[in-house]
Amino acid sequence: MKANEVIDTIKNYVVESKIIDERRAAASTDLARYRDVLQALKGKDIRHVSSITGIDLGKEIAIVYQLDCGRSLLNLKVLVPKKNPRLPTVTDIFPGAVLYEREVMEMLGVTFDGHPDPRRLFLPDDWKEGYPLRREWKK
Amino acid sequence: MTFIIPVGPQHPALLEPEHFRFEVKGEEIVDVGIRLGYMHRGIERGLSERTYHQGLYLAERICGICSHSHNLCFAQTVERLAEVEVPDRAEYIRAIVAELERIHSHLLWAGVAAHEIGFITLFMLFWRDREHVQDLLELTTGNRCYYSMCALGGVRRDIRPEHLLKLKRGLKVLEKATKHYVDVATSDRTILARCENVGVLTKRDARDLCAVGPTARASGVDRDMRRDDPYASYPEIPFEVAVQPEGDVLARVVVRLREVLEAINIIREALKKMPTGPIRTKFKPEIPPNQATVRIEAPRGELLHFGISNGTNKPERWRARTPTYANFAALKPMFVGGSIAEIPIVLASIDPCMCCTDRVTLVEVATGKSRVLTMEELRRIPK
Repeated sequence: MKANEVIDTIKNYVVESKIIDERRAAASTDLARYRDVLQALKGKDIRHVSSITGIDLGKEIAIVYQLDCGRSLLNLKVLVPKKNPRLPTVTDIFPGAVLYEREVMEMLGVTFDGHPDPRRLFLPDDWKEGYPLRREWKK
Repeated sequence: MTFIIPVGPQHPALLEPEHFRFEVKGEEIVDVGIRLGYMHRGIERGLSERTYHQGLYLAERICGICSHSHNLCFAQTVERLAEVEVPDRAEYIRAIVAELERIHSHLLWAGVAAHEIGFITLFMLFWRDREHVQDLLELTTGNRCYYSMCALGGVRRDIRPEHLLKLKRGLKVLEKATKHYVDVATSDRTILARCENVGVLTKRDARDLCAVGPTARASGVDRDMRRDDPYASYPEIPFEVAVQPEGDVLARVVVRLREVLEAINIIREALKKMPTGPIRTKFKPEIPPNQATVRIEAPRGELLHFGISNGTNKPERWRARTPTYANFAALKPMFVGGSIAEIPIVLASIDPCMCCTDRVTLVEVATGKSRVLTMEELRRIPK
């Protein structure tokens, strides 16, 4: 799908959306509707999650889903409050997201409710020094 | 009753430690768990604490085998953040080095795969011929490893007219050798016995588990970033994407060897079409707030860099998703239902950057007794 077709598919579920060029689209949504966005995309036979990136914005944590839509790439952003960073898992919609969610969990301390295997992936089992990709983490 | 076989993380013979936990019932594997992070160096954090010029070299060190891919992907992401256009000649040089790197990486992998199935002669032959492409890389970039070919806004070094003859000669040798290896791989009894119908990944699983690169293409998934999300000079060079429908280890061998042949054609075409002109543009180190995602086709598959700039000469956040990481989820269906003897070749077949299996502990759950197998013993099991 081209970027404009992707935005057409998800326009009912997003807060704002932007077509960067023919091959790049960006959208942001909220916690209540973000699974609807992903379901709508899955309905159009989009099954490839390229990556899930967590970004510490200070008061909030942004989770960016980078979805391969054939001829374009969609960056879908959802914000979670840093005080209670949790959101439902998407591994039931995209099974390939399983490792990316584990990484965001341990690097930024975001909880994905319903994740099938929420163990550590990269950090040592006895790691107690907090979340390395948060802003307050010391060098 | 099931047994747990922990595989890894120690393996001095090959690169990059990882830990796998195989649950086996007799010889059959029923489940597998993965533990990564023994080499976690905090590079994403490191990149956001360094300037873009320093980051270019740090990003390259994410991987030794596909260093140009990271170098290129980082440079392209920064250029997209800064909205800088790269001269045409630089785009061609970037693609040529990327294809040379693909040949070297696939031949290196083919040698390792031959070693894993105990075909040592073939391993020697693959690595002998890989030296030809290493020579070409040294000729064009000055280095055999960590080429540092991309600069922000272009490339560091030009391909000079006196390089052309040597490049063409080297490619001819490589083409002849690879054509022979395609014949060997699809007809030799030993290879067929160890690779055919082994570690099968169905197209459905490959798509659902987001497999990338040759692993996905060997399962019939027609995805290639060079064609689907074009970059460098790939839009101007016609090439064929190697796709095999079978999904077994043999298909992954054939896809990679076909890609080597295709890479040779791409380099020839690029050398022919390459325009003259500058190889670099000026690049200002301060980049206004912006976001950019770039995907390229590294030898192992889709590589993604995602950068956020904030107006300074350092990025706010940098994300690098490597192809091997994307392929780990797809390992499970390849292993489940297979046997212990298949572990080394199936693990090697995704071309992990590279994997453990050097030390294997067999633990009997009921009695708690354990014994340690070396890689040598593990290789001897099938015999």
